[in-house]
Amino acid sequence: MKNQNRGQIRIIEAFLAVLIIFSSFAISANLTVTQNTTNHDDLPSIGLQALMKLDSDGNLGKWIDGGDWAALRDALNIVLPTGIAFNLTVYNGQMQQVNTDVISNGGFSSQDIAFVEYVCASQGSNFHCYIIHLYLAVAS
Amino acid sequence: MPAISIDTFFACSLMVLLVLSAMAGASKLLYPHINAVDTNIAQRYESVSKYLLLNDGTPSNWGQNYQVIPENFGLAKTGSDNQYELDIDKVSRLSNENLYAVSYAQLFTTLGMSDVSFRIEVEPIFEVALNLTATFEGANETSYEFEILTEKQGVPVQAELKLYVLAENYLETSLACVSSGRTYVNKTISNDVNGPALLVVLARSVSNAKIVSFSDYPFAHNSTEPKPKGTFLRLSPLNHKLNASLIYPETDLSDAYALSFNYSSTLSQTANNSQSATYDIPRFLDPSPTLIVVTGWNSTSFFTEWTAYPQIPLQTGMDFASSATLSNVFAYTYLVTIDSALYKCTIWLGGPRE
Repeated sequence: MKNQNRGQIRIIEAFLAVLIIFSSFAISANLTVTQNTTNHDDLPSIGLQALMKLDSDGNLGKWIDGGDWAALRDALNIVLPTGIAFNLTVYNGQMQQVNTDVISNGGFSSQDIAFVEYVCASQGSNFHCYIIHLYLAVAS
Repeated sequence: MPAISIDTFFACSLMVLLVLSAMAGASKLLYPHINAVDTNIAQRYESVSKYLLLNDGTPSNWGQNYQVIPENFGLAKTGSDNQYELDIDKVSRLSNENLYAVSYAQLFTTLGMSDVSFRIEVEPIFEVALNLTATFEGANETSYEFEILTEKQGVPVQAELKLYVLAENYLETSLACVSSGRTYVNKTISNDVNGPALLVVLARSVSNAKIVSFSDYPFAHNSTEPKPKGTFLRLSPLNHKLNASLIYPETDLSDAYALSFNYSSTLSQTANNSQSATYDIPRFLDPSPTLIVVTGWNSTSFFTEWTAYPQIPLQTGMDFASSATLSNVFAYTYLVTIDSALYKCTIWLGGPRE
């Protein structure tokens, strides 16, 4: 009789353990403070804003016209938040690649890559229209 | 096999099975719901953060008039064609250093959302750090060697530097360049000049002239160690006028300067009384913050006080970092333009969990 009761006690222990685990999940879920700094959803907005700011005084078109890819890469490095990897490609109206150098700050390790397309008109004496493809990812 | 072993094995198996199935079931059932709630909150907070930066508030000139507390809060420059262009005076009125600052309680009321707490930070896109590394004292002059670092969160930034050294009746200007995020400069000051002296550095990114940062370094020269910023004066720039409020009544003001990357100017006093003095701030055609330096005497001590216009870096609002409340907190970072120069604005929004 005593041995049979020990088996029942263990089943009660199992149920108690399950109860404790569930309670800890419930409490910890409510105590978590969510701090969402840079998530994947924000990346297109961040990228578009960066390109718009660089284009606001005509610098973006000037760098592309002059083939100053290093300046374009440095400018993106500064205006984009730290921890965001980018890769930028410039196309002309016929969708032929214009940039001769890679405009990037490193390889993408994330699977979540955001894409921004931006049309830039140069402000030089000869009108040129460029299509910019900017790929962004949160660096891990 | 004894019955007790079978019971124990059955109990353990049941416990493991129950825990695993409960975890799997709970996460499958609850996660989409929790995630949807967070997504809705995030979208709402993102809209609020954009509203703060794209709306100019009511009245639209609440920044310029120090007597006006806004009915509706918004930081955008009125009539601007560019998105995320902020008003220099509205931003300055968020700074605690400004005599006419709008308090967080007032801002919270004007936002009109009782369930949303917020924090606003505006700062240059990269940082400038100054260190005095060596002093060489001569018979007629003293040389000071400074280390200057230009970095963005530890990443070196290539920049051009404009250096100003100020002391009593003394203003010296020079240029330098930082190619790898670190440089050393020597400044030599005659021993006839009275200190404390102040080194002001404006750094402009080589890749984009609209990205400007700044820093200052007060140091002893023919004097005792300089007192902390704000000891003698409270400087409040607003509507291109500077109010210099005296902390001590026995203070005499000497020269005042406005400094930007390309221009500098001596400020002329337009009014004064026993408690304050007013200066006009020139409108430089320069994508750069204007640094304002006021010098003077407090009984027998010479001093230099300075501030920036717009009055940044600034942090105002709820301190979420030390908060242990049950809340969702989201941060949104934007590139903003203030008087043609680019800055980083981070808006933190939080509220109770739903």
